[in-house]
Amino acid sequence: MIDCDVHNSWSSSEVLLPYLDPYFRDVLARGELPGGRDSFPHAHRPWLHPEGFMRTDAVPPDGGAPGSNYELLCEQLLDRYDVEFAILTGGEAIEVSTLANPHLASALARAANDWTVAEWLPRDPRLRGSLVVAPQDPLGAAEEIRRLGDHPDLVQVLVSSGAERPYGDPFYHSIWAAASELDLPVAVHLGGQGGVNANPTGCGPPTFFWEAHALLCETGMGHVASLIAHGVFERFPNLRFVLIECGVAWLGPLLWRLDADYKALRKETPWLRRLPSEYAADHIRLTTQPLEQPRDERHLQAALEAIDGERTLLFATDYPHWDFDDPSRVGIPPAWRERVFSENARDLYRLPAKAPVPGEC
Amino acid sequence: MCAKSELAPGDRVVVELDEVSIGVFNVGGQLYALRDHCPHKGGALCRGPVTGTTLPTRDFSHAYGRAGEIIRCAWHGWEFEIASGRSLVDPRIRAKTYPVEVADGQVYVVI
Repeated sequence: MIDCDVHNSWSSSEVLLPYLDPYFRDVLARGELPGGRDSFPHAHRPWLHPEGFMRTDAVPPDGGAPGSNYELLCEQLLDRYDVEFAILTGGEAIEVSTLANPHLASALARAANDWTVAEWLPRDPRLRGSLVVAPQDPLGAAEEIRRLGDHPDLVQVLVSSGAERPYGDPFYHSIWAAASELDLPVAVHLGGQGGVNANPTGCGPPTFFWEAHALLCETGMGHVASLIAHGVFERFPNLRFVLIECGVAWLGPLLWRLDADYKALRKETPWLRRLPSEYAADHIRLTTQPLEQPRDERHLQAALEAIDGERTLLFATDYPHWDFDDPSRVGIPPAWRERVFSENARDLYRLPAKAPVPGEC
Repeated sequence: MCAKSELAPGDRVVVELDEVSIGVFNVGGQLYALRDHCPHKGGALCRGPVTGTTLPTRDFSHAYGRAGEIIRCAWHGWEFEIASGRSLVDPRIRAKTYPVEVADGQVYVVI
C-alpha cells in the first residue's frame, strides 16, 4: 500500500532555526508567535475542533506532537499496514500561505523543506517528501521549486487549499511553470484557511467545526474549476494536480456542470480545446481520505465510477489526524484495490517497481 | 485481570485477554468493560478520553453534563456511554460490552 498523505511533524518550531537565514532565524526565535512558545507562526482557521484534531492514541511516549516520532510512525502506520511508500505532507508548513508577509512565508517554507530533507527522508527508504511553497509569493515559490525540485525523494510540490485566489489565476502561473519544468505534480492539501486566505464562501463562512469540515470540498471545487478554465493544462500539458483531503464524491457532478456550462459559453475561454471533464481525467488526481460514506454503498460506487476512480484515486490515511482512514476498512471496490492502493501513486510519483527492503525501526 | 485497588473511580485499564483488547472503566465506583474496537471504523475506542458531553437542549443553550460517563473514541471522536456501550448519536450503534465481576479484591471480565 502507498499512503499518499502522512503528516510528519515537529513538536517545536525551534527545529527550523538551523535552517533559516539569520534574519528569519531571529524572527522565529524572538518574534511574535500567536500559538505560543514552540508554535509555528501562521494565522489559524476560525473553526476549532472541540477535541483537537489529532488521534489521541497517536501521542508519542515522549509527549511530543503526534507525527513527530518516527518510531511511533513505524509502529502505528508503516509497519502495521505494510506501507510500501509514505508520502510525507508535513504538519503545519503549508500554513505559510496564511501569512501576509510573503518573504517570511517563503523563508519558513524553505526551512521546512530543508528540515524534511535532512531529518526525515534519510531515515527510511519508504519515505518520500513534498516541496512546500508559499503561493502568495509566486516568484519565491518558483525559485524554491527550482532549488530543490530535482531532489530524488521529493515527489511533488505542495500548497494549501486555502488561498487568496483560486489556483488557475495567472497570479500563480510562475509556480506552475516551475513545477512543469521540474516535471513535478502539484498537490493541494486542505488547510491554510485563515489570515490572508480568509475568504468567506458566497454565502459567508460556516459556523461549527463539523459543518466546516463537511464543506472541505469547497476549496477543491474552486481550484479544479479555475485551473481548467484558465487553461493551466494547455499552458503546462505535463502538469498534474493532486487534491489531498478535499473529498472525492463531489467531483463527478461538478464536471457535469462545468462541461454543460462550457459547451454553452466556450467563447469566454478560447484557449481551451477540450471539455473540462477531459482535462480533469488527465490532469486531476485525488486522495481518498476522508472517503464519503453514504448509507447506501452503491451511491458511493456510482460517484467514484463517475470520475473513473480506479485510475484517478490515490489511497491515503491522513495519519495521525482525527479523520484517519484505516486501509483495511475503507470502501474502495476490491477490484480497484491494486490501482488505488498502489499503482496510481506509483505511476504519478514515479516510484520504483519493487519496494526497497523496509528500514529497521 | 487486575486488582480492584488499581481501578479507582475515573480510572481505566486496557488489557489484552485471549487476543482481544478490552478496556475496563471505573465510573463512579461501578466497573464496566468495553471491547477496544469502535463500531464506527474499528478505531481504538478505549484509548480515547473519558469525558462528559452536552445535554440535549431546546433553547439553543449549551449544558455540559455526564462528566466521566462517556468514552470518546481516540480516532474520530465518536461518543459512547461507557455503561451500555451505546453511541450517543444512535443507540442502535453499540460497542461490545462484557460483564465485570469482582471477587477477593480482583477484577474479572467475563468473555
